[in-house]
Amino acid sequence: MQPITRRHFLAGAAVASLSAATGPNFAPKAKRVIYLFQSGGPSQMELFDYKPRLTRMQGTELPASVRAGQRLTTMSSAQASFPVVPSKYSFAQHGKSGAWVSELLPHTAKMVDRLTFVKSCYTEAINHDPAVTFFQTGSQIAGRPSMGSWVSYGLGAETQDLPAFVVMISPGSGGTGQPLYDRLWGSGFLPSRYQGVKFRSVGDPVLYLSNPEGFPAENRRVYLDTLKTLNEQKLADYGDPETATRIAQYEMAFRMQTSVPELTDLSKEPASTFELYGPDARKPGSFAYNCLLARRLAERGVRFIQLYHRDWDHHGGLPKGLPRRCQETDQPSAGLIEDLRQRGMLDDTLVVWGGEFGRTVYCQGKLTPDDYGRDHHPRCFTMWFAGGGMKPGLTLGSTDDYCYNIAERPVHVHDVQATILHCLGVDHTKLTWKFQGRNFRLTDVHGQIVKEILA
Amino acid sequence: MHRFVVLLLFAGTAFAEVRFNRDVRPILSDRCYACHGPDGNNRKTKMRLDVEGGAGASILAGDAEASPVYKRLISTSKTLRMPPAYLGHDALPASDVAMIRQWITEGAKYEKHWSFIPPVRPALSAVQNSAWARNPIDRFVLNRLEREGLKPSPEADRRTLIRRVTLDLTGLPPTPAEVEAFVGDASPKAYDKVVDRLLASTRYAERMAIRWLEAARYADTNGYQTDGPRTMWRWRDWVIDAFHKDMPYDRFTIDQLAGDLLPNPTTEQLIATGFHRNNRTSAEGGSIDEELRVEYVADRTETTSTVWLGLTVGCARCHDHKFDPVPQKDYYSLFSFFNNVPERGFVWNFGNEDPLMKAPRQNEAKRLAELDDKVAAARAAADKAARDLPKLQRKWEQQIKAPGWTVSDGLGLRVAEQKSFDGKAFTELADGPKFNYQDPFTFSARVRPETPNGALLSKGEDDFEGLQHALYILNGKLRLHITFRWSDLALRLETVQPLKLNEWQHVAVSYDGKRRASGVRVYVDGKPQEVTVLMDQLLNPLSTKLPWRLGAGGGMRFQGSLEDVRVYTRVLTADEVAALTVSEPVEQLAALKKRSAAQETALRLCYLDTAAAPVIRSTRAALAAAEAERNKYAASLPETMVMRERDEVRDTFILKRGAYDAHGDKVARAVPAVLGAMPESYPRNRLGLAQWLVDRKNPLTARTTVNRWWAMLFGTGIVKTVEDLGSQGEWPGNQDLLDWLAVEFMDSGWGVKHMLRTMVTSATYRQSSRVTPELLQRDPENRLLARGARFRLSAEMIRDQALAASGLLVDKVGGPSVMPYQPPGLWQELTSSSEYNSYKQDTGEGLYRRSLYSYWRRTIAPPSMVNFDSPTREVCTVRENRTNTPLQALNLMNEVTYVEASRRLAERLLADGGASAESRIAHAFRLVLARDPKPEEVRALSAALERFRAYYAQNPAKAEQFVAHGTSKPTGPGPELAAYAGIAGIVLNLDEAVTKE
Repeated sequence: MQPITRRHFLAGAAVASLSAATGPNFAPKAKRVIYLFQSGGPSQMELFDYKPRLTRMQGTELPASVRAGQRLTTMSSAQASFPVVPSKYSFAQHGKSGAWVSELLPHTAKMVDRLTFVKSCYTEAINHDPAVTFFQTGSQIAGRPSMGSWVSYGLGAETQDLPAFVVMISPGSGGTGQPLYDRLWGSGFLPSRYQGVKFRSVGDPVLYLSNPEGFPAENRRVYLDTLKTLNEQKLADYGDPETATRIAQYEMAFRMQTSVPELTDLSKEPASTFELYGPDARKPGSFAYNCLLARRLAERGVRFIQLYHRDWDHHGGLPKGLPRRCQETDQPSAGLIEDLRQRGMLDDTLVVWGGEFGRTVYCQGKLTPDDYGRDHHPRCFTMWFAGGGMKPGLTLGSTDDYCYNIAERPVHVHDVQATILHCLGVDHTKLTWKFQGRNFRLTDVHGQIVKEILA
Repeated sequence: MHRFVVLLLFAGTAFAEVRFNRDVRPILSDRCYACHGPDGNNRKTKMRLDVEGGAGASILAGDAEASPVYKRLISTSKTLRMPPAYLGHDALPASDVAMIRQWITEGAKYEKHWSFIPPVRPALSAVQNSAWARNPIDRFVLNRLEREGLKPSPEADRRTLIRRVTLDLTGLPPTPAEVEAFVGDASPKAYDKVVDRLLASTRYAERMAIRWLEAARYADTNGYQTDGPRTMWRWRDWVIDAFHKDMPYDRFTIDQLAGDLLPNPTTEQLIATGFHRNNRTSAEGGSIDEELRVEYVADRTETTSTVWLGLTVGCARCHDHKFDPVPQKDYYSLFSFFNNVPERGFVWNFGNEDPLMKAPRQNEAKRLAELDDKVAAARAAADKAARDLPKLQRKWEQQIKAPGWTVSDGLGLRVAEQKSFDGKAFTELADGPKFNYQDPFTFSARVRPETPNGALLSKGEDDFEGLQHALYILNGKLRLHITFRWSDLALRLETVQPLKLNEWQHVAVSYDGKRRASGVRVYVDGKPQEVTVLMDQLLNPLSTKLPWRLGAGGGMRFQGSLEDVRVYTRVLTADEVAALTVSEPVEQLAALKKRSAAQETALRLCYLDTAAAPVIRSTRAALAAAEAERNKYAASLPETMVMRERDEVRDTFILKRGAYDAHGDKVARAVPAVLGAMPESYPRNRLGLAQWLVDRKNPLTARTTVNRWWAMLFGTGIVKTVEDLGSQGEWPGNQDLLDWLAVEFMDSGWGVKHMLRTMVTSATYRQSSRVTPELLQRDPENRLLARGARFRLSAEMIRDQALAASGLLVDKVGGPSVMPYQPPGLWQELTSSSEYNSYKQDTGEGLYRRSLYSYWRRTIAPPSMVNFDSPTREVCTVRENRTNTPLQALNLMNEVTYVEASRRLAERLLADGGASAESRIAHAFRLVLARDPKPEEVRALSAALERFRAYYAQNPAKAEQFVAHGTSKPTGPGPELAAYAGIAGIVLNLDEAVTKE
């Protein structure tokens, strides 16, 4: 039998994927990313972008000069009036940095000196599907690889036992969240090995992970040993490196059967962990649980950990829905930052928080004394970053008094993407894949690194 | 000195013909372009050899001896010679130098990009080992191999060969009987017979269809955001049928792109046009209709280009193409062919969108025709019975007795008495029908408005923009609102003529429940009214518990009088509406000498309703029943979306930066200029475009198509970038081979089976796929084809093979999509809990159909397909991806489909595999791998079997669990079956099992 050399194995991998991981272009600040995506578009006005002057303007018509021909969704474009509505919630300054944070986010407020706020993010899309697709793939049109798969293609994994790119989803208790799509963590035209692997909260955490009932691990070991013997005979006979790769992948599958259950077994987590993330962290499928798993994935060398929390789309009934979303996400997000810090991992983990767009200052639907809603707003919204490569306690950019237009330092979606890649040591203009005769990249032909927020 | 001699030797050589693309460009590309080619960043000097004139004075056309390029090639000075020795390059071989010399001597002519020049049938290449060649393919392949100093591999053994060709042509493994028949067939035509048998099967058509479905981005859902369902499987079945009948590819093309524009198109030709209705559509609230519509047209433009031309024009949507000569203007000229569909951008989320058609299958069409005949017969009988109607009616009028008669069928609400309204007070009604958006209705009332604005009748929120069904007078005009959301999910229309103030009039509005303003009729005093449609987007269900109101709604009140307000739960005919305008009792009408048309109608309806002779009544009832039966059946027939042209051609403009609303210059319909012009005789519409695509002079369509099939069989295209034969695509590995295939394809009358037969009967195809380390080193991707192809089966083949080998496969062609096993909750966790978001896993044969019938939801595609690289069908995909991942291993070991298939396979082994472990293992090999196992394979599996047996003997309860997976019932002894199921699982997971070799 012909020995399987490492070179043999790699040759097979290279043939299968057309190209191996490219590796960082320069020394990275962050080794991994935890992206806390808030799906639906959280309102910047109720959370971070404090606009005291709006109180006096309550119910007044948003001046056309502010709107300046802005494209609106057809959900509110036919409205006869656009009354300004201020935040119902109070704000206070926190920490040494004096960042303004809403009363809805008491835990995040305690963490502000570790966070970097960008209040002047903007996008081009006005509806969910194109906007989320834009944020996650760099293009509003489906078919491009997602950010996580670009990173996984560029940098590979630091683990042999888990996928490089993991996705987890939590629903939001309103149950009215916008749908998500596999393409948001898909690999587009990159080989599908780079696509995100969705960890589920019901059934197997990874699809088809468990052995079928009645076929225990000891049988699986016999099965795999036999399979390996036979496949090695085939390899000796035919000499196809793909066979060598397949043998290795079955072994990795077997390792995942151990590593994933170990990952999701929280029984050894001390009580202090749950104090950090909050009691929800014991409930599989909650945002808090996913935040805790995110830390455990990060510890185990997973490169890109993508969370989605749904149900931030408050067209109406905002005072009812928004506080619940905050309650679900505030403590876990802050807990994650603190947990990473305590473990010395915040320095090389980049945490990103944000949605696909912001919300309008004007009320959508009927404005009543205790109820209002806000439509999608692409022109400005707030994101925050923490950890690897970021300058903590900083706020970049600002919006006008109406929180409608950016007053200073616009940061485009492609800029955010370029900056995330930069923190990972990747030059966003160099991470490319040739498809249909063209070199594609996450940031298309755009993207400027936001240098001001980098440490 | 030695080199000089060789040079002299070749200096006298004259090649019969030197062509730039074929002969010169490969040399320049290989040895010179790195520094003198298209990449501006790497170019060392201004001198470039990739474009005509790029070399300036370094090439003197006609005079090689004086051309610096040539002089540098033959220079003996190490510092001057090109390619430069100081960079470690060798000199060009003498034959190459001679080639370039002759090219310069003959004028140094460049050629257009190779694929833009129509292919001509190349002469067969000269080969030494001509006995090896079975057909022209082999001559071109062998010529290349001999030039490389390589030899073809020996022919694969028969078992390998029949498994390979059966998988390739049908997507399923051969049965042991088929294998044995082939192995035992001594006829020289044995292999050809197998190929003919396979090509004749419907399985061949199903196998060919799936790649086409991926190219056509076919799916069962809309694809954007909420990703609601649609019904397009009639189109899918059309594709299967076309491949089965071996429809010539030119007709296949024309029917799908422009079947609707053919003279007297058949139902099948109309169904075929669904190709370009397979694009994704969006029902996302708030979307801008035109922005989406433009996206659909762009998708069609780019899909057409990729599938037929192998050209990626998408770049030119926003700017002139940087690599291929496709300016933005050409993009929009092509776009304009698809820009004339009467469709909307913002679509309904719960089914098909216009234009659509009922697409009955043959037996269904027959049944429908029978029902039509039945209706016609019933109508004839009713008409016959009605001949005496006037006479009988006149007699009846003499003794009329119908107190209080009125049109009462479907009357859900009636307030008969006259009511006055003062503009403040209104009446709320306790009862009345509930309406959703697809419920038909008729509103009717006598009205006497005193002011030009007010609410007559409403059900829903008392807010002008609120959720409601309502009838208003606005600026004097009668106005209907059906609103879910004011701004984008509503139907609104109003009459052109205002009502008269302070006069009694009868108004009626009917709606047919089909979500369209075109289904609304408005009558004033029985006369149909012209209306202005204000919004026609009734796309969302709406229901409310709020009451019916008279004289109020939309925050408005009514000043004036109302009488006889009615709500019907059906559409009233114009005759019935006319009867409602008559306020006198029928007895009074009967006494009139002179009657208005409406009065006549009322009397006639009353007679028919209450007193018609039994024969009239029974024949009318029979007609109504026949119509109801026919309509019910017609409604149940499958529906499919089709292409259609608008009456008035929509202008097309260049869209600056690709933005839907940034119109630039207007463009006319035309094909990309670089590919020539459309012949004058072709119409300037989709039909002409389709004809041009399959015109003999089109340089790309035939090449693109045969290249894709080549990739399907050999793993890699002759041009590897099967989606791009343009200048950024890969240069063909063997252009003579590609061009021969392309010309053969066209000359054969675009015969699809002919081309596949030609490919799979070649000696090239029939080689063994064994790899030597030397060959692997030399040609890792097997581009030279010195061996047979060996690569992983596609997603659907892996599943279908498991079903077939285990005996679970339900071999049924066509029909609605099915829902095989899927882990519960996959859809809900990404969407919501609404009805269409729950995956309704099949219970019977739907679990075991071939994978191309699996329900395809684009945003959450079947995971066991995507795991094995199936494209998600969101956009056109023509290139197959093949990865090798641990998730695939988990899928094949643990997904219920494979666990059940292993157990069923084990049942077959126990039933038909003889009595010994050896013979049963051998049977498994024959079923899955089409061969007998080797002794060492039997040894390894027997050892595993003993371990499993021992385990299940100890743990019989585990055995029962293990054999219980899936919905099919296990047969046989639990522990033994479980042990063999473990063995069968190993066989199905073998590298060889998931590989075509």
